[in-house]
Amino acid sequence: MIEIKGLSKTFPSGRGVVNALCDISFSIPRGTTLAIAGKSGSGKTTLLNCIGGLECPDSGSINSFGINIHTLKKKQLSLFQRQNMGFVFQFGNLLSFLTVEENIAFPLILNKMYCNKERKERVADLLEKIGLPELSSALPSELSGGEMQRIAFARAIAHHPKILIADEPTANLDTKTGHKLIELVFSLAKQEKCTIILSTHDQELIRFTDKIVNLLDGRQIKNE
Amino acid sequence: MLFWIKTAALFLVRSSRTSIILTLMVISAVSCLIFLSSLAMGVNDAMIRNSVGLFSGHISGYNIPDNIQKTDLAVKGVANVLQRVEVIGFLHFKDQIDQIVLVGVEPDQERKTSAFWKKTIKGRFIKKGSIEIFISEPVAKRLGAKCNDLISFSLEPGFKESQFLVAGIYKTGISQLDTGIAFCDIETIKHGTMENYAGKHKYFWNGAVFLNDGVDMDMVLQKFQNKIPDHVNFQTWKQLMPDLEQLISLNYFSMSIVIVIVFIIVSLGITSAFSIFILKSIREYGIMKVMGVTSIQTVSLLCWEVFLINIAASIFGVIFGIIIVSVFQKTGIDLTAWTSHNQYFIVSGVIFPRLTAYSLLLPPLSALVFSLPAAIWPAIMISRKNAAEILRGDG
Repeated sequence: MIEIKGLSKTFPSGRGVVNALCDISFSIPRGTTLAIAGKSGSGKTTLLNCIGGLECPDSGSINSFGINIHTLKKKQLSLFQRQNMGFVFQFGNLLSFLTVEENIAFPLILNKMYCNKERKERVADLLEKIGLPELSSALPSELSGGEMQRIAFARAIAHHPKILIADEPTANLDTKTGHKLIELVFSLAKQEKCTIILSTHDQELIRFTDKIVNLLDGRQIKNE
Repeated sequence: MLFWIKTAALFLVRSSRTSIILTLMVISAVSCLIFLSSLAMGVNDAMIRNSVGLFSGHISGYNIPDNIQKTDLAVKGVANVLQRVEVIGFLHFKDQIDQIVLVGVEPDQERKTSAFWKKTIKGRFIKKGSIEIFISEPVAKRLGAKCNDLISFSLEPGFKESQFLVAGIYKTGISQLDTGIAFCDIETIKHGTMENYAGKHKYFWNGAVFLNDGVDMDMVLQKFQNKIPDHVNFQTWKQLMPDLEQLISLNYFSMSIVIVIVFIIVSLGITSAFSIFILKSIREYGIMKVMGVTSIQTVSLLCWEVFLINIAASIFGVIFGIIIVSVFQKTGIDLTAWTSHNQYFIVSGVIFPRLTAYSLLLPPLSALVFSLPAAIWPAIMISRKNAAEILRGDG
């Protein structure tokens, strides 16, 4: 279970202080999927960043499987993220100097999971599942947007995280490719018993998820 | 750790364009600094070579009794020993007279080892077995003598005179060698026409000891002192020419200052280049941070990147530096136009750069020492900023 209580976050700007998030509260049971929906600038990314521990809220708490992640020290937070979380961003954010295979293996090595042979098998299995086994030795610069996002998902779930956080993962893809990708990711995540939290402004995509949190100007307007 | 070394290597290899530019920068800096410090060594070597090679040798022995042979001084490390016998007397030509020290030398050995004979300005150097004299330009002027003139020598005015043919006239530009000295074949003094002087008195000889390159002068001197009686006085070029020793120390000091300044400038360039190189890829470190890479691991990765690129570039830089120095070691750098009136470059103004452990190791070590801090600032920045800030580009 992930519990968010009274989460608020402000950013300084040229025009004063911007309220990016204001008193957000909701919970997500383990293994469910949640969509954070809202227009551009509504605070979706900020909320995801706070949940993922990439950003520190001004107030409120995020209890992730019994741990208030913002009370953790830097190193403890890094270890928590490394073991329990997988991230996918709008532009994939693959490590440009590593091949597809090395990118997917990176979190496995960080977590000291599997021996060399098993690691290779895990990577090959994931590549097979996302339908890109032939790209194992390609560099990110050689991939299309859709391929890059699929690889990013494979990397994010490679180490069996408890939470998968995806920030507008289909924003740069055409609708058909985007929906295919989400179907694939959701089926993979289900196999891994992974909680998925994604942000999107695509109403079609929201239908795939179990829960929705709607944001407008940093405020939660509806919780289903 | 192996994982981070491998990751750092992959980062460098696959960021090839930036890595190559950075590598070339370090290579050129390291090789230039190696050449610069080798050149400084070469200038000092040239001054010593010129000064000792002209006449005195590395070690000069005075008042060596005739029961000690040249071979007694030919210990390990000695290239040659030139035997010289001196008598004080007067040169006469027509109605002119000049007091001089007549030095008997071994003409063939002098030609082989010293450079003194190269300073001939008229005529030629004396030949072995001839009754010839080699006089300086000031002596020739005072006497009004020219080449092929017959001039007389006597121990004191009115004493028995010996006739010498003026074989050549020389000029070194060094007052000690140009004033009041003339040269003849040593046999002339020991057994020939000068028997009157040498035969009646037990003669003492002076030795100019020339050492092989890189031989420790003090070690040779120690061997002499163990072998030769105490009353024989040996002096090294440092004792004979304290001004040269001081000049060399000054040269080392000033060149060290120049090299340090160049090092600082080059190092600032290297540090800046490395910082830019790291900051250019800051997003990659942000992504790694998102995946749970700790600050210490980031610092370790950055340091490995800097270390690996430095090692690779330093190896090439050292090789390139050695090649440049080797080329100039063979050809030499002719600075005669700037040294012709300098007594420390009296024989030759050609500089041969010389590599030393100092000149070979200091540049790559400095490159490493100065570039590692370049990793610190970006590393601190990455560890202080949160991942979202780095990915947003606020870093």
